[in-house]
Amino acid sequence: MDNNKQEVFAKVRRNWKLVLGLGVLGLFAAVLLVIGGAAGLAWTSTEAFCTGCHEMRDNVYAEYKDTIHDRNRTGVRAICTDCHVPREVGPLLLRKMAATFELYGHMTGVIDSKEKFEAHRSDMAHKVWKRMLQTDSHECRNCHKADKMDSDKQSEKAQARHAKAKAEGITCVECHFGIAHKEPEGPGPQEMKASLTK
Amino acid sequence: MNSLSRVFLMTAVVAAFGCADLAIAADAVDADAAQALIKKSDCGKCHAVDKKKDGPSFHETAEKLKGKPGAEDEIYKHLTTGPMVKIDGKEEKHKVVKSTDEGEIRNLVRWILSR
Repeated sequence: MDNNKQEVFAKVRRNWKLVLGLGVLGLFAAVLLVIGGAAGLAWTSTEAFCTGCHEMRDNVYAEYKDTIHDRNRTGVRAICTDCHVPREVGPLLLRKMAATFELYGHMTGVIDSKEKFEAHRSDMAHKVWKRMLQTDSHECRNCHKADKMDSDKQSEKAQARHAKAKAEGITCVECHFGIAHKEPEGPGPQEMKASLTK
Repeated sequence: MNSLSRVFLMTAVVAAFGCADLAIAADAVDADAAQALIKKSDCGKCHAVDKKKDGPSFHETAEKLKGKPGAEDEIYKHLTTGPMVKIDGKEEKHKVVKSTDEGEIRNLVRWILSR
């Protein structure tokens, strides 16, 4: 065993230039993979990428246009990924991997017409609401920090609502739904919460 | 009845049906316009189509006023005069719809009543 090890080390020493070259190449390839991966994650999180598919562009994106998250006084926006893709690395990667199944859906035309989209709207909305109910509207809270809300700048109505929400453990999406996209038929977040907590 | 009288009668019947059709068309709801006004007026902040939010759902309102005479005028008044409404035991002023076009508002009212 020791003799074998010594032979290996001797071979490496004899071919040190090759070994070093391979090592540098390997490191270079690893760096390229990391940069490429990061660039891919960034590119697939852009508004242009998400709306590249007509299923999104002609339906939910068209509905989102001119809503408060698209166009407002300050021009600060929330795009698709801000609400629908987690920011934390683990959940982000999981979501990106799951999204590859959406490619299959696109290729098989699951929602490629207005009629098919409307038929699936309810299901898609419920998936999103369920996740938000389970994560206490996590993506909303990425931007809207409850403890940083200046109640003096809110209307009396908003102050009363948010105080009630805090007291009763109501999460954002239970009231703030259908704000970016058309409301589907069927149960809403409040009704879903009731059945989730049973 | 002579043939000329028959022609007049048929013409009158066709005209009557034509007018009825026009009347029905005039009452037909433009869903896109209604939803655009809802988006513009931010009704969705408190009202969902058939789900719970702060205010009654449109479906709930439609059910409550089904067959009631003057329902359209009642809702029209509600949307244009900003009455006080009670939410969580507190009285608040209901928002006024963001339109001054009576036809546009009545279209929205009819859309709500048809949910």
